[in-house]
Amino acid sequence: MKPAGERAWLLEWAGDESAANGKARAAAAALRAAKAPGFLDAVPSARTCLVLGGPGFDASGLPALEADPPASAPGPPPRAHELRFTPDGPDLDEIASRCGLPPESFLRAFTDLTFTVGFLGFTPGFAYLYGLPPAFHLPRRPSPRTAVPAGSVALAGPYAGVYPGATPGGWNLLGTTAQRLFDLRGDPPFLFSPGDTVRFAL
Amino acid sequence: MTRGLVVVEPGLLTTVQDLGRPGWGAWGVPASGALDAEALRLANRLVGNPEGAAALEITLSGPVLKAIGDLVVAVVGGPFGPAPGEVVPIPDGKTLALAAGPGAVRAVVAVTGGIDVPKVLGSRSTCVSARFGGFQGRRLQKGDILAVGEPAGRPLPGRANVARPPLGDVVLRAMPGPQEDFFDKEARAAFWSGAWRILAESNRMGIRLRGESLGFIETAALASEGTAPGAVQITAEGQPIVLLAERPTSGGYPKIATVAEVDLGLLARTAPGRAVRFERISVDEARRILAEREASVRAGSAR
Repeated sequence: MKPAGERAWLLEWAGDESAANGKARAAAAALRAAKAPGFLDAVPSARTCLVLGGPGFDASGLPALEADPPASAPGPPPRAHELRFTPDGPDLDEIASRCGLPPESFLRAFTDLTFTVGFLGFTPGFAYLYGLPPAFHLPRRPSPRTAVPAGSVALAGPYAGVYPGATPGGWNLLGTTAQRLFDLRGDPPFLFSPGDTVRFAL
Repeated sequence: MTRGLVVVEPGLLTTVQDLGRPGWGAWGVPASGALDAEALRLANRLVGNPEGAAALEITLSGPVLKAIGDLVVAVVGGPFGPAPGEVVPIPDGKTLALAAGPGAVRAVVAVTGGIDVPKVLGSRSTCVSARFGGFQGRRLQKGDILAVGEPAGRPLPGRANVARPPLGDVVLRAMPGPQEDFFDKEARAAFWSGAWRILAESNRMGIRLRGESLGFIETAALASEGTAPGAVQITAEGQPIVLLAERPTSGGYPKIATVAEVDLGLLARTAPGRAVRFERISVDEARRILAEREASVRAGSAR
């Protein structure tokens, strides 16, 4: 555990990234469920869980949580999503060819995968999804686009993701979905939560 | 509407802010809230509000506001308007022009009763980048009419003092960051000894600094990680960004330092073009200073 400020701590796990992320998610969910006095937030990410406290927060239990995160996270059970999308992304052909497949075969393989929401970040509702085979790990685009269409289904590094709104972005664009990922009129306002599973469909 | 504020002139970037919405980081939602939380708390105390009531954050050029009903406001932070740090009545139908004084960058305008906009995800703060919260999810525009709540308490006598940027370089106390060991000895020495100029491209997410580059940073191997307020990220070009209230919840740049919470308000009050330096302190020392500052804010001052 490392301090990240007066009242901020990073719990960190080594080893396989998606396994480390599972521990980060479980630790964050446990902290959220415990609602300790002064607790402000727990942000799971690839290998870490950032814990933010306010006045009165007691951090003395954090090393034990890092050493032994709960095997199953308390809180609402994960949900399973199927996300329909149109394969109209400008990078589809390039993605497929870099993965050594014709576009139709790539899409078939992609829609056979089951992803796990590892963490959200970058912008509200943007999920980093684990579950791509190493052959589909592609670098980000050399220069980010200034505007990526809302609902873009995209790949970068070990992750798949979906852009909730139109933002700049450097990921490789596969297609677009009409599904809203962040909608304040919705209950809950976020389609995805950490730990949910996602399958893509055409 | 019996109590409200009409925006006669909006100023450059005037938004509704409170103490923010921590708790949604796992869904990628920035905390938001006033960049100068100390100014918000003190301004609210002066006008008799709970210290986290919603107020206006004003930036570089202040707004002109017209009162609906008899209102009392307090401007705390940078020197804007006729009486910064003091309680100012605005009688019904009168206007208050919050012109920027010398070196004014940001301030908080609290009004008795608080700005009454709906809470979104637990807070009235505007998230400028994702366009929600506050007043219609955006900066104020000419002609907007903001509702003001019923007063919960009475204005206090006296004034609120906050630290003003001194002449010369502004010294920010900072703790070693979680990835300080990512940098070699020379880069660390250059960071802690250098003068860093505040760029005009700074915004509510972060203050961008420019100085002698710490060298090209290869970040491909770094995993995305949650960001604390005040974290000092070093970009690929070797330049620092100090992350503020509306920072993205996570990022993949290495963080060489964390600015002490007690100096984040001072940074928010320091003008683009000015230079800052970082003074290294331990986490324990930062905690001790923070506890002292908490006691003084509760007593109505932050100097």
